[in-house]
Amino acid sequence: MTNPGQVRLDGIVKRHGDFSALRGIDLEIEPGEFFALLGPSGSGKSTTLRILAGLDMPTSGRVIIDGADVTSVAPSDRDVAMVFQSYALYPHMSVFQNIAFPLEMGKAAKGAIQPKVREAARKVRIDHLLDRKPGQLSGGQQQRVALARAIVREPRLFLLDEPLSNLDAKLRLETRFELKKLQRTLGVTTVYVTHDQEEAMTLADRMAVFMEGEVKQIGRPADIFARPNSIDVAAFIGSPPMNLIPASYSDGYVIVADYPLKTSCRIPGQRDVIVGIRPGALRFGRDGMPAEVELIEDLGDMALLDLEVGGIRMRARVRDGTPPREGDVIHVAAQEKDLHLFDRATGARIESQADAA
Amino acid sequence: MSLRKLRIFPAIAIAIVFAAAWLFPIVWSVLNSFKTEQDILAYPPKLFFSPSLAAYKAVLFGSSSILPNLWSSLVISLGTTVLTMGTAIPAAYALARLRLRAKKFTGFYVLATQMLPPVGIIIPYFLILRNIGWIDTYEGIILVYLSFSLPFAIWLLVSYFEDIPFEMEEAAYLDGASRLQALRRIIIPQVKGGIAVTIVFVFLNAWNEFLFAVVLSGNTVRPVTIAMFNFVSIEQTLWAQLAAVSVLAMLPVILLGIIAQKNIVKGLTVGAVKGGGRR
Repeated sequence: MTNPGQVRLDGIVKRHGDFSALRGIDLEIEPGEFFALLGPSGSGKSTTLRILAGLDMPTSGRVIIDGADVTSVAPSDRDVAMVFQSYALYPHMSVFQNIAFPLEMGKAAKGAIQPKVREAARKVRIDHLLDRKPGQLSGGQQQRVALARAIVREPRLFLLDEPLSNLDAKLRLETRFELKKLQRTLGVTTVYVTHDQEEAMTLADRMAVFMEGEVKQIGRPADIFARPNSIDVAAFIGSPPMNLIPASYSDGYVIVADYPLKTSCRIPGQRDVIVGIRPGALRFGRDGMPAEVELIEDLGDMALLDLEVGGIRMRARVRDGTPPREGDVIHVAAQEKDLHLFDRATGARIESQADAA
Repeated sequence: MSLRKLRIFPAIAIAIVFAAAWLFPIVWSVLNSFKTEQDILAYPPKLFFSPSLAAYKAVLFGSSSILPNLWSSLVISLGTTVLTMGTAIPAAYALARLRLRAKKFTGFYVLATQMLPPVGIIIPYFLILRNIGWIDTYEGIILVYLSFSLPFAIWLLVSYFEDIPFEMEEAAYLDGASRLQALRRIIIPQVKGGIAVTIVFVFLNAWNEFLFAVVLSGNTVRPVTIAMFNFVSIEQTLWAQLAAVSVLAMLPVILLGIIAQKNIVKGLTVGAVKGGGRR
């Protein structure tokens, strides 16, 4: 066996009465990987994490860690550590006692506890706060205590449940960066639940996109961004979200609002499709679809335009040059590599030749 | 003087009236317990008198000493408290945590026992205890007291347990704790205030109980509340001794209040500071 921390979920189903929270989750996470479970709220990502932790039992399916079936093993015997969204610090204990608790429960030798707690606290830079109670700490400091409590025992798996969502925006960015560094240093397999795609994109080596109790797509964040495999994923990944426009395909072209856009897709015959174009992929020029600028949101280093193209609404992102003014009529087009085609009936991606290459 | 300051006077006046009404019997008891019988019955009442310990000597070491009665009360109250808490803490934890199907029903049933008028069940209790030969025994009285204190304590404790987020316990499991370890190390320390409040209530109820004790006790086991009653008889009332006994009976209650004061205040205000320690 290689490094510890290999995880496999095998057909995990979770039902609450008639409601199916998870409809068959299959996942494989490699040792040392930073793996994100990304999805909107209620998509089943947190339930999956809880099943992985042993806090919930799946209705059916198996949880396998390092080759051993742990589906019915108690959380305390799984050798996994978790950081909760609320941090779940023990308010009646000092920071030191909080971090030492997993070591005490793990029957660590008395003499070993002190240096290990200090070491863990140093790694997350709270070694000056060990005598405080959690109530006397800021949100960011509490979050670090929760992290230290998780890393102190050197588990084979970290489970993080939206650990940054209670921090303010600036602190969240800093902590995100530090979290990534910490994970790299420790090399422990990390499963990270978030609804924030930016967090998932920046932190994860790979991620799984959850929707309505199913995994829609698994892959490297950049790959998922570049080639979403369905309309649902396309609509969820990317901010502002991808423009998804009903169009018809024929003979190498998609017709959007009477305007033909060349695509590298080759499918036989005529077909109703949804064409997806990221707001940043829309180009302005002489040629292209005539579009009226309805609204401009200027964000300083970029501007978001709401466009109306032949009765269809689109959003565009402009990074450089002078943005047009509201009410202007401009021309927009997109390169063939930037067009995503989806089957209108099934919602599945239609692979282009570029994809296949 | 501002209008606001003026407005506060009626409030203070009302507070004084209530405090006086509440304090008067206590002050009366304390003063009379140091008087002689003659001084007590003197008219007009004597505000200044030479204090005497005669009444205390009589009730503690006289022919009808109340020391055995104080002892009975102590055994009954402690026994009730220990048994109640020993059962109520795990029961309340279970009711607060476990997803029992019968939980709602059980909760109501527990509370419903508090709605029975005590006089309605005195006679059945008496008959039951007589049949099993437990009249005038510690077992009998403690058992009957448990039937009130246990539901009350469970009901009180459940809300304290429910205040502790389950996530805290889950965190303990992941840290390697067993359910019992999580309860002992993580949950109980956080509901200490609630437990202290419950202990005080249960102990006081048992200590002050009169109605059931008067029926179910006898010559062997006679709590101080019943013994006190005997100082009032048809021929005469021994006011000084009665006052001395009531002061003695009040002492443990006051003592308990002082000892547990900090925890009681914490326990009673738990709603106000809830979440103060987190987030």
